Amino acid sequence: MKPAPFEYLAPTTVVEAVTALQEFAGEAKVLAGGQSLMPMLNMRLARPGLIVDLGQVQDLDYIRESSGRLAIGAMTTKRSVERSALVQNHQPLLHAATTSIGHPQIRNRGTVGGSMAQADPAAEYPATAVALDATLRAIGPNGERSIRAEDFFVTYLTTALEPGELLTEVSVPMFGARTGWGFSEITRRHGDFAMAGAAVTVSLDEAERCTEPTIVLFGVGPTPVRVRNAEDLVRDERPGDTLCDSVGRQVSEEIDEPLADVHASAEYRRHLAGVMARQALAQALARAAASGDGAT
Amino acid sequence: MTTTLPVRLTVNGVQHVAHVEPRTTLADFLRAELQLTGTHVGCEHGVCGICTVLVNDRAVRSCLMLAVQADGANLMTVEGLAGPDGKLHPIQQAFVEEHGLQCGFCTPGFLIAIYELLENNPSPSESEILDVLGGQICRCTGYQSILRAVHSAAAKLGATGSGTAQESA
Amino acid sequence: MVIEIPKRVEDLPTSNPRWVGHRVERKEDSALLTGRTQFIADVVVPGMLHCAILRSPLPHARIAKLDTTDAAALPGVVAVVTGEDALRWSQPAASAPEGWGTHCLASSVVRYVGEPVAAVAATSRYVAEDALERIVVDYDPLDAVADPFAAMEAGSPLVIEEKGTNVMMQRLFTWGAVDDAFAQAAHVFTEKFRWNRLGANPMETFGAVCEWDPMSLDLTVYGSIQAASFFALGRAATFGIPSNKVNVKSQPHGGSFGGKGGTRGTDITCLLSRKAGGRPVKWIEDRMEYLTSGGSQAWDRHYEASLAVDAKAQVTGLRVKLVDDLGATGEGYAAISAAKPLAAFTGPYTIPVAEYDLTLVATNKLPAFPYRGFGPPPHFFVLEQMMDIAARHLDIDPAEFRRRNFIASDQFPYTIPSGNEYDSGSYEEVLDKALALADYADLRAQQARAREEGRIVGIGVASAIEPGVFDWNAYRTVGVPGIGVPEGATVSIDILGMITVRVGFSLEGQGQYTLASQLVADYFGTHIDAVRVVQLDTQSSPPSFGPGGSRLGVAITGAVLGACERIRQKMCAVTAALMQTEPSNVQLRDGKFTVEGMPGVEMSVAEVAGTMLARSDLLPPGIDPRPEATHVWTAAGRTEPDEQGRAKSYLTAAQAVHVVMVEIDRDTGVVEILKYCLADDCGTRLNPLVVQGQTEGSVAQGIGAALFEEYVYDEDAQPLTATFMDYLIPTINEIPPTEKAEVVTPSPFTPLGAKGCGEGAIHTTPAAVMCAVNDALAPLETMAREVPAAPSRIWNLIRSTQS
Repeated sequence: MKPAPFEYLAPTTVVEAVTALQEFAGEAKVLAGGQSLMPMLNMRLARPGLIVDLGQVQDLDYIRESSGRLAIGAMTTKRSVERSALVQNHQPLLHAATTSIGHPQIRNRGTVGGSMAQADPAAEYPATAVALDATLRAIGPNGERSIRAEDFFVTYLTTALEPGELLTEVSVPMFGARTGWGFSEITRRHGDFAMAGAAVTVSLDEAERCTEPTIVLFGVGPTPVRVRNAEDLVRDERPGDTLCDSVGRQVSEEIDEPLADVHASAEYRRHLAGVMARQALAQALARAAASGDGAT
Repeated sequence: MTTTLPVRLTVNGVQHVAHVEPRTTLADFLRAELQLTGTHVGCEHGVCGICTVLVNDRAVRSCLMLAVQADGANLMTVEGLAGPDGKLHPIQQAFVEEHGLQCGFCTPGFLIAIYELLENNPSPSESEILDVLGGQICRCTGYQSILRAVHSAAAKLGATGSGTAQESA
Repeated sequence: MVIEIPKRVEDLPTSNPRWVGHRVERKEDSALLTGRTQFIADVVVPGMLHCAILRSPLPHARIAKLDTTDAAALPGVVAVVTGEDALRWSQPAASAPEGWGTHCLASSVVRYVGEPVAAVAATSRYVAEDALERIVVDYDPLDAVADPFAAMEAGSPLVIEEKGTNVMMQRLFTWGAVDDAFAQAAHVFTEKFRWNRLGANPMETFGAVCEWDPMSLDLTVYGSIQAASFFALGRAATFGIPSNKVNVKSQPHGGSFGGKGGTRGTDITCLLSRKAGGRPVKWIEDRMEYLTSGGSQAWDRHYEASLAVDAKAQVTGLRVKLVDDLGATGEGYAAISAAKPLAAFTGPYTIPVAEYDLTLVATNKLPAFPYRGFGPPPHFFVLEQMMDIAARHLDIDPAEFRRRNFIASDQFPYTIPSGNEYDSGSYEEVLDKALALADYADLRAQQARAREEGRIVGIGVASAIEPGVFDWNAYRTVGVPGIGVPEGATVSIDILGMITVRVGFSLEGQGQYTLASQLVADYFGTHIDAVRVVQLDTQSSPPSFGPGGSRLGVAITGAVLGACERIRQKMCAVTAALMQTEPSNVQLRDGKFTVEGMPGVEMSVAEVAGTMLARSDLLPPGIDPRPEATHVWTAAGRTEPDEQGRAKSYLTAAQAVHVVMVEIDRDTGVVEILKYCLADDCGTRLNPLVVQGQTEGSVAQGIGAALFEEYVYDEDAQPLTATFMDYLIPTINEIPPTEKAEVVTPSPFTPLGAKGCGEGAIHTTPAAVMCAVNDALAPLETMAREVPAAPSRIWNLIRSTQS
């Protein structure tokens, strides 16, 4: 399992990287942490003529507060995200998603940008980005642009990035006082890709009613699946078990063309989607209620 | 004609300069070019962890890195664990005492992963240990003796207190 | 010279063994821990080339066109071989049953996805893989058959057309008046089961470096090879060259578990070497090759079983019908795994009569290979589910039901209906220890409380036999000839008293070099560090089979102690000559030779060895002056199988009882193991540290088998399990800690009373876990009949009980 031959470039600036991608459009692949691309190269499933390695590019590895949001450079490793006090304190959903990814040895190399750009249907980050209404910034031949997470993931392993465009940053909100979050996934083994998972956020207003719910499923379709009909069930309701049960049922019914593979049939996946949504919502409601009492 | 690129790196304290095809993996480079065959290859797709080496103090799968990506880096492989006089590192010694290996093929990867864990976190929690060990597959031992070896190694290295690093919120 | 191998540790010439029976740290470890051990992938031979193999993407097809011209022209490529070369220079592979082997490279027909069609030797594996992409192959697809029942139907595509059938073997074994037992039974229980393909997956794949001189036809093979001498003979037969032209140098290997057969890859590499003018060629199987096309798959089985039980809850008969899908050929000797259950067919029970209806079928899937246990683990899964079905129906606690049916301690040696003899056992004591360790009554109370809360909790109590020290006669029924499996060792003492043991097998993980050192050190009263074990290649070694069939611990003990005995006798004669007395007056004890009637007179082992080596002039005439001896140990009393396959085959029978508690998540079907306790009895434990390791390792494999591991094929015989993301080997997070207790019932038949224990818990664990799963599901009136009990399967069962 050895890669096919390719040319290699390790630019030191974003501009250099974008120029190379544009010049070799279609023939080039971006190498970030390598945890997804290298297996494909080793299996010869990916055979680019040029690898553009972002490992030497300056200024893509950061986590900082910026206008009330957290801005994370695309080449920030998942390890850095996991250990970041900013993330732990202000974006616990992203933190929970991060610790669910593989193992520390994977997180030592895997990057935030790489995971988003890979858009694996079973990955944790894309669904979390959609649940957080994250903004993804890209630079390309036509300049910079911001893409909303819900527009970023197009289909199986495909994003809205144009040829020659490079993802540079992911920006996520910092959770407010009454924001609850939930993250639940089911894997065959600890650290595996999920058969199904859910990322949920919800807040409670002064009247203890749910506001701004997001319910996003992963592992059950070609992209993260945001189940708006289930969110509608939650909005303005009071927390409770029956709410979570009905959301679970709604999510199960909503899942369109669930994936089928050796680990889970489409039917089983559909069912798991509902279970994960129910569990994640219950977690989110519990956290939202607790945070209102001043506890974290 | 295949293009080669220069790679300068330090492995186990020794500086090397080599020229490699870009597609050469770090695992193959260490084994074939540098004859450091202690790092083994188990799957070449990043699941088994057998090829784990330390790159700039981080345990990584060397089958998922290109050799050229290690240009300028500081590496440690299993050959760098024991002392220059051959004295086993406490982690290695713990493996002997606890029978933490049988065929030994997966062992170098475990040693490096455990080395990184204990260097950064001398008193890891059980879940932190299991998170790291969960990224390494062994077919012979059933893992219990490896877990015992980690506890023993932590004790040998002088774990202090019971504080843990970076618990999640 | 009468050689008496000590039957008990107390019989060793040492007052207080320092090593044998103790937890001794392994000598193998420091080289392994520092990365210095040379595995096959680390072997470099000057001038070495690298092999890559082109494999069929189709399960059944004619090769219409094969053009390797462009591949051969790629810079760096030195040789290319195809089926033509295989036809020219080799025979079809040996197989069980006989006649179901094909050439290592397909020439006209491919019969499974992954079958080799061509191979390249180049300056690197990278270049070799580039070359594969330049080989042009056109296939005419043929209908493929993926299901053994379809394969048995008239009109099915034939896997090997010349055979005229896909049934490799069909045989009914009847042991005793089975029909009567079932007709007269108070209860008859019948059930079907499915055990899916899984397999060895050692962390090191197979590999070989082959040098085949085209002029002399001398063949040298370095490899990650489990049974080197057997392998060497196989190469001689395959290539039609004299057996003394083949030399196999087996490397320490990264686990095997039966899966390091690798004949196809080796043979292809040999052909490449010959074509490359005799240059050494290395082939390292990669993981995807291993999973889809290597020695990776075993036990693809469809079972139907019946149990007859009388009014007193005694099991009076057992019927097992097995359809075993062996894949496209018999080259992996997987047929043996269908025959091996004869060695322990009725488990630990006094079931007096039994029947085995066995059909071995070919399909267009990967040829099956051995896996740890080599057949009995699925058999015991079936037997133990039947025992529980009976117990549940009769409303008897499953532990008690087993107790009532156990072979009693005073009944050994015990001959089972299928002919093998169990050497010894204390089954009830093992059961009691396991139940006590588990606090069984409390577990049942916990289960009752959990059920009140609506949780799905189950407890499994299972017992199985681990046959140990195999003999070929066990496999005669599937066409494997032969009787007797030798293991030899040469022990020699140098002038300074340092001792070397020469053996013919390489390390695989079970610590046999340490064991050999323990035995020699205690025998001659020296420190274990004074003993060195050296492996010889097949050209030089004493007769050796090596590890397999839970034999090597016992066999190497016999070989080493036999050699020590021979040396002792020589040294007694030397001492007697020097002291001018009779050899019968000389004793060895604690490293010293003393003379009866001559107090204060003693010679150390080193002194005697030194005298023999330096002063052969002082030795009595006729005595071999070397302080060295070779002994070959072969299990005694093995018999020819009769017309029903009955034979004394496996020499020892270890036994265990496992108690497992599981909880099933109602929403997801996930099975979680809450508690795992076991008690086992493998006779004398020569190195308890190693035995514990074998137990823990085989429990993990058993859990993998019960809950995680499965090779999936689609209905077109395409393998869907190609990576470690698909084939789920458990990590530490999937394996609970086990509590263990031991009983020691020595074997009366073996050196030091040890029993084979290397295959270990894999015989019992899948049965125990599945018993627990089915105990959990029993109140829901459903049952898991298929292994592995993956969450989706369990969820489907639970769902089907809800209206």
